[in-house]
Amino acid sequence: MSIRTEKLTHIYMPGTPFAAEALNEVTFEIKKGRVALLIGPSGSGKSTLIQHLNGLLKPTSGQVYFDDQSIQSSKAELLRLRRKIGLVFQMPEEQFFSETVFDEVAFAPRNLGLTDESLAESVYNALNRVGLNAEEFKDRHPFNLSSGQKRLVAIAAVLSIKPEVLILDEPTAGLDPAGRQKLFNLLADLNSNEAITILISTHHFDEVVTLADQVMVLKDGRLVMDGPRDQVFNNREKLESLGLALPSVTELMQDIAAAGFQVKTGIYNLEEARREIGRMKERQF
Amino acid sequence: MVKKPEIIIEAKALEFNYPGDSLNRSSAINGIDMTVNRGEYLAIIGPNGSGKTTLLKLFNALLAPSGGEVLVEGISTVDHEKVPLIRRSCGMIFQNPDNQLVATTVEEDIAFGLENLALPSAEIRQRVTEVAQRLHLDKLLLHPPHLLSGGEKQRVAIAGILAMQPRCILMDEPTAMLDPSGRREVLDTVKALNREEGIAIIHVTHFPEEAAHADRVLVLNQGEVVEDGPAEIILTDLEMLHSYNLQGTAVVELAALLRQDGFNLPTRILHNRELVNSLCQYERKS
Amino acid sequence: MSRSITLGQYLPGNSYVHRLNPRLKILALLLLLVLLFSLNSFAGLFSLLAMALLLLFSARIPFRYFLKGLRPILYIVIFALIIYLFFTKGGVVLLRIGSFTIESEGVREGFFVITRLITLIIFSLLVTLTTTPLSLTHGMSFFMKPLSKIGLPTDEVAMIMAIALRFIPTLMEESQRLMRAQVSRGADFETGSIFRRAQNLVPLIVPLFVSAFRRADDLALAMEARGYRLGAKRTRLHVDKVLPADLGTLIFVIILIAAAFYFKL
Repeated sequence: MSIRTEKLTHIYMPGTPFAAEALNEVTFEIKKGRVALLIGPSGSGKSTLIQHLNGLLKPTSGQVYFDDQSIQSSKAELLRLRRKIGLVFQMPEEQFFSETVFDEVAFAPRNLGLTDESLAESVYNALNRVGLNAEEFKDRHPFNLSSGQKRLVAIAAVLSIKPEVLILDEPTAGLDPAGRQKLFNLLADLNSNEAITILISTHHFDEVVTLADQVMVLKDGRLVMDGPRDQVFNNREKLESLGLALPSVTELMQDIAAAGFQVKTGIYNLEEARREIGRMKERQF
Repeated sequence: MVKKPEIIIEAKALEFNYPGDSLNRSSAINGIDMTVNRGEYLAIIGPNGSGKTTLLKLFNALLAPSGGEVLVEGISTVDHEKVPLIRRSCGMIFQNPDNQLVATTVEEDIAFGLENLALPSAEIRQRVTEVAQRLHLDKLLLHPPHLLSGGEKQRVAIAGILAMQPRCILMDEPTAMLDPSGRREVLDTVKALNREEGIAIIHVTHFPEEAAHADRVLVLNQGEVVEDGPAEIILTDLEMLHSYNLQGTAVVELAALLRQDGFNLPTRILHNRELVNSLCQYERKS
Repeated sequence: MSRSITLGQYLPGNSYVHRLNPRLKILALLLLLVLLFSLNSFAGLFSLLAMALLLLFSARIPFRYFLKGLRPILYIVIFALIIYLFFTKGGVVLLRIGSFTIESEGVREGFFVITRLITLIIFSLLVTLTTTPLSLTHGMSFFMKPLSKIGLPTDEVAMIMAIALRFIPTLMEESQRLMRAQVSRGADFETGSIFRRAQNLVPLIVPLFVSAFRRADDLALAMEARGYRLGAKRTRLHVDKVLPADLGTLIFVIILIAAAFYFKL
């Protein structure tokens, strides 16, 4: 049970003078229930890759597999896939078009053929799941919500199909610290309590990095790094040469280690850092 | 005798309400007195809806105050005749790089403001060339904006302002939609303009690590200036920041936790190296 | 992808035609069209066609671009040919199909008309393929200038056209992204009756409008911040300087016309 790609290659407008290679033989696997982080500079192919995982683009060559079944095998397979893999685009609230929150959240399940009773139920569940009281919010106009609430509705609009995999593109863009924290808690909860596999593509990973099991780095359409989180972030020189930064806490711990202190550097949040420095104090001072 | 700093922008008992719009009520300005000095790098931070963007628009005469006044180099922003002068000395960079580029090529976009000033074509050409060189855009002059990276688009926007030879650049979350290298690109550019050409910068930002580049930081909450001081004082006052739902940088937050654990650290730690140095001294002492 | 969306038909280059002043190109095009329609002899027509082909060649325009440009009028050309072949009488009868005859005068007239049409297309293509849409816009607004006397905001119209040119690729990109986003939510833009399909477009059109209005708002603000004021005097970075080559071209075109009239070509 996993989502994986094999030598996935995508060329825009092949055979024309405008041909541009967006993905070049990308091969990876994300195991069920894991959280993976996809990072890389703008234009490195992250959005293209994500859209392939939802069957929105056709590979020039290579394959995408979900549960070992190629998603390009048939139209039916593609639709099955879209029910299992929810994709939250960048600034998803910009896709809103309905007059009520209910209709907005019901759009995907309706399209995928849910009946009226089970539809209402999945909409209510999805809204409550993201922490918005369904009774209170269902009749409100989606355009008249705060930016944090809009984002949550947009995520509910994908959770309403009960996906097994959730893919998010820049999920925290434009949110304030409180909104980011809420979203972070939601993702952590979805992953740990419902074993939803999560792939997050982002430039701002200070918060979500704490959830990540696996980190993948894309550059110019190639997967240049892919491995467990510590392994990737331990290679600071390589990341910096790719124009990428470390999570700020990790960077701080590496700076401390570089000054000659004996500390673990695979650290991603403040509490861990605090404990590690506390331990260091006992050992060294 | 201490030389009095030259004031570029002055707000006096400034007030602004969005007329009849309940959604925007939170972004009102409720009585602000402040000044911005020549050559200063000022960061403005504050929670969503605290009025940061509104304040910048008032400074640029894009909004007219409901009460009090704004003086830009001594000229009131309500003086209709002189608004072009204000816009010339104080340019503004917006958050969305796509929605502020007007022309179909980079060079025409840089020229846009100068064309509005009705300068002779030869002078426009000369200034566009100079500015493009200054910001390393010379190879992109004939590119259409939609083929540029986010960082490049923002640099083009900055170039368009710079060509007007401003005293001050107002920036409304200019890096919010950029990737880390684009952010660095924009911040380095702006810092260089501030250091080397003495252009004052007013930088509205969400990111405490960006505010740390400024000399002075101002905290806005519910349309009022609640804190105003040097960056190393404002950005290290975690208790205050948290009370306005703002975060400190990772190193500031960590230093605070360590202090709670009994580490005797200096109060003003803003950069990684300062924490590392303090820990080193700590080790030596014990 | 949208990266490659090209606007208009402009092909970058640095040929003689490329470098001509856009206003002059428009003026010369108009004059040549007048000439084209006043010519009565094959000799005159073929010389003009030869000139057009020579210019096309010198501008290094690939032949397939030229053919692509011809395609839209292909049917008109064929239609015109048929009409003339069958309905213009005179001369020798060349072919008889039932009660229809094709006579030599019809062949002459037919070929004359389509040669004229093709020459016209080549000259027009020469202008659109060698001038950026923006220069074209400004060139045309120059000729509309007199209309500002009767209160038409010609400068503003030119500005609107230029902004449209700037934002078309951005909006195309955006609609593509939106479409994919809604497809990932199960939307179907491809099947069903026409009515059904139109209805299915709502999830695409509403957000596209919302975003276009937001962009327009942002842009208006940004333009104002950079000192743009409706009706205020503006200058331009690009002055369409009239160079000796431009004058030469204009004089040449005028001589052509005079010669055509003088020799009754």
